[in-house]
Amino acid sequence: MFLDESTLRKLDQLSLVASRVRAGQMKGERRSTKRGTSLEFADYRDYVQGDDLRRVDWNVYARLERPFIKLFEEEEDLSVHVLIDASRSMNWPDESTNGDNATAKERNKFQYALHLAAAIGHIALAAGDRLTMIAFSGDDARPVRFGPVRGRGNTFRLIKFLTELKPSGTTDLNGALRDYAMASSRAGLGFLLTDLFSPAGYQPGLNALQSQGYEVNLLHLLAPEEVDPPLAGDLRLIDSETGDPQDVSIDGPLRDLYKRRVQGWRDEIETHCLKRGVNYVPVTTSTKWDEVVLYQMRRMGLVK
Amino acid sequence: MSFLAPLFLALSTLAVPIVILYMLKLRRRETEVSSTMLWRMVLRDREANAPWQRLRRNLLLLLQLLLLALLVVALARPFIPVPVVASGQVTVLLDASASMNATDVQPSRFEAAQAVARQLANDLTQEGLMTIILVGPQPRVLASATNDKLELRNAINAAQPTIGSANWETAFALAAGANGSVANSTTVLISDGGLPEKLPALTGEVRYVPVGSQPANLGISALSLRPASGGPQLFASVTNYGDANARTILTLNLDGELFNAQQLEVPAGKTSNVIVQAYEGTVLAEAVLSPPVGAANTDHLATDDKAWAVYNPPQTGRALFISRDGNIFIEQLLAALPGLQPFRQSVDAQLPTDPFDLYVYDGVISNTLPSKELLLVNPPPNPLFTVGDVFTPTITGTITLVDDPLLSFVDFSNVHVLRAREVQTPAWARTLISVDGKPLVFVGTLDRRRIAVFTFDLRDSDLPLQIAYPILVSNLITWLTPSTVISESGETVHPGDTVTIRPEVGQQAVGIQAPDGQFFVAPASEAGVLFSDTGQLGIYGVGTASVQEGGKFAGFFAVNLFDPLESRIQPAESLTIGRAQVSPAVRGQVGQREFWPYVAAAALAILIVEWWVYHRGSSVPGASGWRGFFQRKKVGA
Repeated sequence: MFLDESTLRKLDQLSLVASRVRAGQMKGERRSTKRGTSLEFADYRDYVQGDDLRRVDWNVYARLERPFIKLFEEEEDLSVHVLIDASRSMNWPDESTNGDNATAKERNKFQYALHLAAAIGHIALAAGDRLTMIAFSGDDARPVRFGPVRGRGNTFRLIKFLTELKPSGTTDLNGALRDYAMASSRAGLGFLLTDLFSPAGYQPGLNALQSQGYEVNLLHLLAPEEVDPPLAGDLRLIDSETGDPQDVSIDGPLRDLYKRRVQGWRDEIETHCLKRGVNYVPVTTSTKWDEVVLYQMRRMGLVK
Repeated sequence: MSFLAPLFLALSTLAVPIVILYMLKLRRRETEVSSTMLWRMVLRDREANAPWQRLRRNLLLLLQLLLLALLVVALARPFIPVPVVASGQVTVLLDASASMNATDVQPSRFEAAQAVARQLANDLTQEGLMTIILVGPQPRVLASATNDKLELRNAINAAQPTIGSANWETAFALAAGANGSVANSTTVLISDGGLPEKLPALTGEVRYVPVGSQPANLGISALSLRPASGGPQLFASVTNYGDANARTILTLNLDGELFNAQQLEVPAGKTSNVIVQAYEGTVLAEAVLSPPVGAANTDHLATDDKAWAVYNPPQTGRALFISRDGNIFIEQLLAALPGLQPFRQSVDAQLPTDPFDLYVYDGVISNTLPSKELLLVNPPPNPLFTVGDVFTPTITGTITLVDDPLLSFVDFSNVHVLRAREVQTPAWARTLISVDGKPLVFVGTLDRRRIAVFTFDLRDSDLPLQIAYPILVSNLITWLTPSTVISESGETVHPGDTVTIRPEVGQQAVGIQAPDGQFFVAPASEAGVLFSDTGQLGIYGVGTASVQEGGKFAGFFAVNLFDPLESRIQPAESLTIGRAQVSPAVRGQVGQREFWPYVAAAALAILIVEWWVYHRGSSVPGASGWRGFFQRKKVGA
């Protein structure tokens, strides 16, 4: 079970924040770019011929002797997309490589990503937003998709969907994101949960999403074993995703260099995201996942 | 630089298997990780930043090859040629006499001499042979004709200085034996001089390495307790052997208690004498020199700053004269001899139970002979030896005297003997005077008692009228009644001298206590006990074997240095050996100094560095020391 009762109650208080106000399709609880009939005042504009006289603000007319039309906001729904990287590298640390099962499961990036996805999905559904969830995995396998759905009643279907997800294969992150951006009919708020272990890079994929009008939040997941590896000696490292070997003789200085490199890599990503207007959330899976949602994302203004 | 064992250099081929093993060794452990992307980035970074990193990976291999190189070089025994005092076949005479204890060279002259000897051993060439002789009172060969530097060093290090005089004659004899007939042998004397004159010449070259720098020394050159009218008188001499006037404090202890202390000003090269009256009954005296407070150090040798003396009062022996009618010649002479109290008794009377020191029988013998010293004149048949008929020496028969200390100053040329008893000299005795091959006077020791025999009646000769008579009888009486248990008492005993101890009759064993408390027990024998463990200075107590358990010592003797040759510590500038003058040696020859220990030490250092590099390379961050080591094992498991 991904979400327990108390966590659900906490999540119910939250709603996802999109920095840009965009047009929706259905009546919802969010401001829309459309002007409509809600009670929220939006703006004034000059009266032009043909406007409904009922919407002229007579008080202003009395003061200025010029007719103005009073505009009201339209409240509509938001399209929320949760994109999960389900490649093999996300399944780390796994039970086979780490003797301590409980710790491995807690820190497993994929499990962690599913928890975050469930939380974000629940917040979206609870707020009446339109939720689409998708997991990319495998070289040629089609991405697994859930939604779009709307309404809090779908939370349990969502959780069932997440429980059935299995990490496998390699992911071309760029291709997957580009394909999704192209195929998607309605852009909106996108959450990308990935470890970014994609040798081809991630920038073109993010660009593709952004060019389609997505507002992207990147949750970058790394296991503590990846930040500070407990490895030493002459090793042949096998890539869990590609199976490619890499010979390396790990000593103290090299390990220090690795740690600096990881930090540098995260900094590079952050800088890139800052430039492109992407919200970057670095997450190490030793942090409890609900802390990420309740504190880290809230502090960054991704939820309120 | 050359090598003594260059064959070992062939071991450097071991480098090949090391390199091969190193290449084979790198069977990497396979470990799965989520992605190697970051590791690839790191490796790319590192190689871009530091091209020498590739070399660094082989640091262990380089260290191992260096270690091998050092070990191989050490095994090949590298050496460099150095100038030395002697090479080839070398005999080192290491002076261990008392003067080598002088501290004018720190820590002492003997240790400086040891250092010189060690240097000689170190620089010995491969073909060289070295013999080391320690020259003390009894010279010893420490190492004989060896090239083993370790053995030589151990022998030198184990050597100890003595407190006696060096016996150079014996040492030279040993050196001559060690040199043998080798033409190019060299004898090196490491000494401060003090060699006696008229030493025999040595074969080969003789070199002299002087040790010591200062002549300043004050020493006690004499100490004795002499009988005087008001009790024993203590006589002490303090000699300044240095070249500057010196002050010192002479402390005199009698029987272990402070008796007198006085400050003496002794001019350079002179002797100050001190005479004090000691208590009646004083037995032991000790004299100690100590520097006055604040005075400059004018005494570099401590060995001669203490001396001991034993008081041996003149003893009165009791003699019992037994005869039938008396003998005026004997009685008068016994009465005239000093230190002897004569008593007279008829032969028919019972012997007194109180034993006398000497029994003199004239023409008679008692049924049971006392087990004490005996002087028998004209003896009748008795259980001690066979007595035959009376014989008359021929007119032409000459009286023959053997060469014996008992006959010193005895002139028998005008002595005539009318008749004597024909006696066969028994096996336990030796004949002193004989005529026609028949003994007239013989002496000997039987059952640990001394016996002297005249085989003729004194009245049947003109001996009592001759000057030889009192001298001969006095000598015999002195021999028959030695004053103390210790023969040499009264004279100076030097360290290493042999002392003769005469146990009392019936005593089975003699106990001797050395100054350091060590106790020696020697079985008593006919001729007395010869004691030669006199290597310590001080008072030796002599008694029965049970004296150790709180008994009383029967006598004492003192061992003192009292040797001007040792106390005069001025290092000799040159030595006279044979007819040659030997000057201090210069380093005129070429030796081989090995330095493999340094190479081996460097190899050990490299080994430690290699170990450190190996473990530094594989410790886990955040865990240091052994914790890190074990953690590494766990991760690797």
